[in-house]
Amino acid sequence: MACSPSLSDQIPLSTFPFLTLQEFECACRAFLNRIHVLGLEGVRWSSARFAQQATGPVLKISRSICKSSIRHYNILPGSVATAEPQVEICEDDPEALIRTPDPSVCLQIDYDIIWSPTYQTPVLYFLLRHSNHPGPLGIDEVYQYLVPDQYKRELQNVGVMGGISFGYHPQSGIPAFFVHPCNTADAMKQIANPQHITPELYLIMWIGIVGSRLSLHLPREIFEMDGLQKLEG
Amino acid sequence: MEQQATLNSIQKGVWDGSLPLQIRLAPSESRIYDQTDPYLIASPRISYLPSLLPRLRAFFSSFLINPDSHPHDGWFSFEGVPLKWHLPLGLLYDLYAGAEPASKAMNDPDDTDWDLDNPDSVLPWRLTVHFSDWPDEELVRLDADGMVMNDAFINSVKEADFLRNGTAKGIMSLSKEDSSGLWKSVQNVDLASFQRISNILLPPPNQPFRNIPIRIFLPLPPDSGSPALKVVQSPIPPFIPPSSMATSQLSLSRSSAAPQPQTMGTTLHSLLPNLFPSRRTPVLAKPVLHGAAVPMSAPIEEVVRCSAYGDGWLYVVIRMMG
Repeated sequence: MACSPSLSDQIPLSTFPFLTLQEFECACRAFLNRIHVLGLEGVRWSSARFAQQATGPVLKISRSICKSSIRHYNILPGSVATAEPQVEICEDDPEALIRTPDPSVCLQIDYDIIWSPTYQTPVLYFLLRHSNHPGPLGIDEVYQYLVPDQYKRELQNVGVMGGISFGYHPQSGIPAFFVHPCNTADAMKQIANPQHITPELYLIMWIGIVGSRLSLHLPREIFEMDGLQKLEG
Repeated sequence: MEQQATLNSIQKGVWDGSLPLQIRLAPSESRIYDQTDPYLIASPRISYLPSLLPRLRAFFSSFLINPDSHPHDGWFSFEGVPLKWHLPLGLLYDLYAGAEPASKAMNDPDDTDWDLDNPDSVLPWRLTVHFSDWPDEELVRLDADGMVMNDAFINSVKEADFLRNGTAKGIMSLSKEDSSGLWKSVQNVDLASFQRISNILLPPPNQPFRNIPIRIFLPLPPDSGSPALKVVQSPIPPFIPPSSMATSQLSLSRSSAAPQPQTMGTTLHSLLPNLFPSRRTPVLAKPVLHGAAVPMSAPIEEVVRCSAYGDGWLYVVIRMMG
């Protein structure tokens, strides 16, 4: 299937609220074109690429984040929106381990967005590690560093998006976290207009609801780009 | 009704199936290296290996160099390959043991076929258990309460449910008691309890599945890089959609409007046309399920209704012929 980079030329989805494999591929390619126009600095990702592997297509995104220690954070004037809420939960959460954080913690997150042949939707797999340290971090660190405050309870209680599990990456076979995809199609139906949705728009909205729960954020600029005003519809 | 009785007896056969295992402690973990006595057990094909860990840990406890390990630190390997514990034992055996599948042409497999003293005999299946050096890059770690296993099982059940019904509402609305009861019934190999709960999830016999939960496992040559297995999955409806009938040169049968049931052969032909050029005869490879070669003509929905694993999936291993 030919993939047009221009959103307005893309045809509507054939199986909405599901996404076919071809539509997923198109969406990934169109989305990457858009990211490259913005530049990786614009999204604060260290890399973003599409790979066609023997086991299927995958959209790979990596980003690094460095967090100052909890005490430093509270007095830094510049740190407003993104990281601060997470800091507070760490202190409020009765189940959180008590840690003495390093002066700054640098983390690398590798996201793999693949297509589920069962659910016919994208699925988010990811691994979190300390920079320059090979071993993956566990679920406690995922909630501590990646899941924003407002989504913590919902994810832990298997809410709308159905929680996080540790399973096997379907392509590499390596253990990895994934966000339960069983409610994705229902969620997409709630928020998207079937008349106007295209593969790329589907992917962007999906990253908006699933990615944002795991600190995979899209920059505001992306929504101001040509062709995405339809998001309002 | 007669058909239902046949399906029930096949299902009972599947649940009764077991494999003789000879499990050795990894020599590097034993105070007497490779002199530790092996543990022998017949284990149900539909069970999961970690269910053996408590008694293996107890059996080997006096030999362990590291006495602080727990049962849930245990993992299994076969010929150096760590075995994925979320796959049922029978599937692991069909995948890795290299055994010739049973078929109609064969005589009843004779129990004396297997030989404890001959390391070249396929049975008992010879596994190694380890209680340290967990292979983090290959296996998801277990926990003391069995929550990780339970979660993996339920996720798998959810996927099967989604394929059968087009939604996962069935399993999501299952009572907590039934949901944990389903996992317990598989752990205890308790077919009666399993049937009671899975009948809540399955579409009734007169209502076809939307899609068949089936995964095809293809062994890959060792030099093809990771992963060592290729898993093929695609939505397979229980009846062949009319559009593909038209292309299958059966133009005459189009006039007879009755939909053609999907068989093992038509399924494999549509997923792997190169390996299965014929829908009726295995030419290059054959499908193996629960240690047996599956007839190509078997209607796929009947196969899944009687021979699925506890999580609702058909896991079919492809074995090359010749």
